[in-house]
Amino acid sequence: MTKRQGRLFFIICTLISATVFIGLTFDSHRRFPGLTNEDKLTPEIIRGKDVWHNNNCINCHTLLGEGGYYAPDLTKITQQRGTPYLTAFLKDPSQFYSEEKHRRLMPNPKLSDAEISEVIAFLDWVGHIDNQGWPPRPIIVSGTTIPGTDVGQPPTHASVSTDPVAQGEALFRSSPPACNACHSIASGANLAGPTLAGLATRAAAIIASPEYKGEAKTPTDYIRESITHPSAYLVPGAMYSANSQSFMPDNFAADLEPQQIDSLVAYLETLK
Amino acid sequence: MRYRSQSIAYWYFAVAMCLFGLQLVFGLLTASKYLGPDPLLNFLPFDKTKAIHTNLLIVWVLTGFMGATYYVVPEESRSEIYSVKLGYIQLIAWTLMGVTAVVGYMFGWTAGNKMLEQPFPLKIVVVIVMLMFLYNILMTIKRAGRWTVTEGVLVAGLAFAAILYLPALIEYENYTVSIFYRWWTIHLWVEGVWEMIQGGLLAYLLIRLSGADREVMEKWLYVIVGLVFMAGILGTAHHYYWVGVPHYWLPIGGFFSALEPVALLGMAMYAYFAMRRAGFSHPNSLAVHWTIGSTVFTVFGAGLLGFAHTWPSVNKWTHGTLITAMHGHGAFYGAYAMTVLAMISYTLPHLTSDRKVEGSSIGYWAFWMQVMGMFGMTLSFGTAGIGQVYLERILGLGYLDTQLKLQVHFLMLIATASVFATGAALFIWNFFRTAPRSVAAIDSSTSAPDLAPAGHANSAVSG
Repeated sequence: MTKRQGRLFFIICTLISATVFIGLTFDSHRRFPGLTNEDKLTPEIIRGKDVWHNNNCINCHTLLGEGGYYAPDLTKITQQRGTPYLTAFLKDPSQFYSEEKHRRLMPNPKLSDAEISEVIAFLDWVGHIDNQGWPPRPIIVSGTTIPGTDVGQPPTHASVSTDPVAQGEALFRSSPPACNACHSIASGANLAGPTLAGLATRAAAIIASPEYKGEAKTPTDYIRESITHPSAYLVPGAMYSANSQSFMPDNFAADLEPQQIDSLVAYLETLK
Repeated sequence: MRYRSQSIAYWYFAVAMCLFGLQLVFGLLTASKYLGPDPLLNFLPFDKTKAIHTNLLIVWVLTGFMGATYYVVPEESRSEIYSVKLGYIQLIAWTLMGVTAVVGYMFGWTAGNKMLEQPFPLKIVVVIVMLMFLYNILMTIKRAGRWTVTEGVLVAGLAFAAILYLPALIEYENYTVSIFYRWWTIHLWVEGVWEMIQGGLLAYLLIRLSGADREVMEKWLYVIVGLVFMAGILGTAHHYYWVGVPHYWLPIGGFFSALEPVALLGMAMYAYFAMRRAGFSHPNSLAVHWTIGSTVFTVFGAGLLGFAHTWPSVNKWTHGTLITAMHGHGAFYGAYAMTVLAMISYTLPHLTSDRKVEGSSIGYWAFWMQVMGMFGMTLSFGTAGIGQVYLERILGLGYLDTQLKLQVHFLMLIATASVFATGAALFIWNFFRTAPRSVAAIDSSTSAPDLAPAGHANSAVSG
């Protein structure tokens, strides 16, 4: 090979790669609006993106898996934690996590109420980007889903069984958002939500207590009410509720079929 | 050193060394935060120290590249630099930009975009400084009327680096589009045009150190840069996994990223065969260590550690974990930090006075401690990352609880980082140990070792 041929090799390789790359870039631009729901990109969300950048969030957290690897990935955070929870968390992270226990803590970003709702809107928009289904299974902020679950089994709808309890258990791991993203069924393992270990037994005690103001008369009704109206009874703790409103998402009554709620209740009733 | 104006390089290298030291201070500070609790949580939390750590890296490596170019171009084009004054003004503006950025990050003045945190006014300064630099270099070449492939590749790499910074100046409303173009700057820098710069500097060093035939070296330089671009340009796709771009980027990323180690291996073989064919005739064997070491560490850090997690079905689980930090440290150090350190080691006997060409024992300690320390750091991040992937991503343990289980790896990280930092401190001390040569001394030195014909370098040292 001569020097001239070497130069020709360099020029041809570079031109081919660059041409293909630029061609695919044009095609990607054609597809971005659909993949990222650009029609839903409101000024509030764009301001939320500025909040995200101005506070240098990306140098600790990851978003779509990109960032600092020092704090949890936030791609699907709004599907795991409702707006009330995220709002309260952003107002004062130290109420939710202990630096002594976890050895790291998010400094208070000192955001205004408007900035908080903007950045949450932004994160929610990011969470709905079509990104080839990543992460392959939910990335959880804290706690564990290992005890009492099928380790390594991805969330799935129970297609194998018609048993309501089996279907309920599958929903527990998959219903949007998955219950086990916040609730463990291991005794004493409180995640973002309280543990559901012994739920059926505790339900009877809660109904009988004077603090209970809901309408349920039986443990079954109480579990159903907790799913459809999370704020009917508030488990004590600043990390679970604020202003008489539970941090648990309240979309289940609308997003689940009545029969799915029945299955979920049937499953949760087995936690004694 | 044949040309007076080459001494500009000393001041670029001096600034690079200061920023390198500062980068490690912030690196160690950042690493210590993995152990926690953090007493500086409310003044200098992780996000700030990490941004400063990575930005200082980019700034000092680019300072080193520019210094190296000011050293290489006069020799290759056989001419003094067009404007020495412009070279110094450029250095001052560049340093002020870097220092302002660091201080700004401390007080929350940031664009908050990973690696491109520089606020908009500072980005403009970067562009202006790059233009000054390119003008000065191109005018030198134009006035000399002579250029070589080696310097052509080097200068073209720097020019492309400046052009690829331009997408970073634009604000995008769509976060996915913003990610898409962020990698045009960062990826096409580090796996494209910076490798071109590395290739140019490597060719220069190999021609000087081994006395290998220039025609042969430059022919293969074209081939290597061709391979780098063929794999690297479409290899950008491995940053487009899971971020909201069309699906076809996944197989493209997998295939072309798999080719990237081939290009890097080609670079290492290029260095090895040059040395084997022409022999280690040059007395500066410390510079030989750094040059060959750089190519070997590039194959390891950029090539193998990158390939380890670049296949889409693997990356699905490793994406956004400490595995990426493993690759990042190995790649940047091997390919870029070591290339600059090789250039400094080669030029130092010419740029400073009272220094033996073959290097001192401090120099070798600095080399081996850095190489071993960085190897240990990549292992620490790698083992931590593997633990994280299994516990957090596969078993489903919470993020914070997983991090607590990785403490032992963070201890290992800090231990190996301390070895590395000691090596780096020795290198920096060795750099500043003797004074730069005065202009009079440069004028009186008629024969420098690098100008000796191949194979006769030893006899020229005494001259």
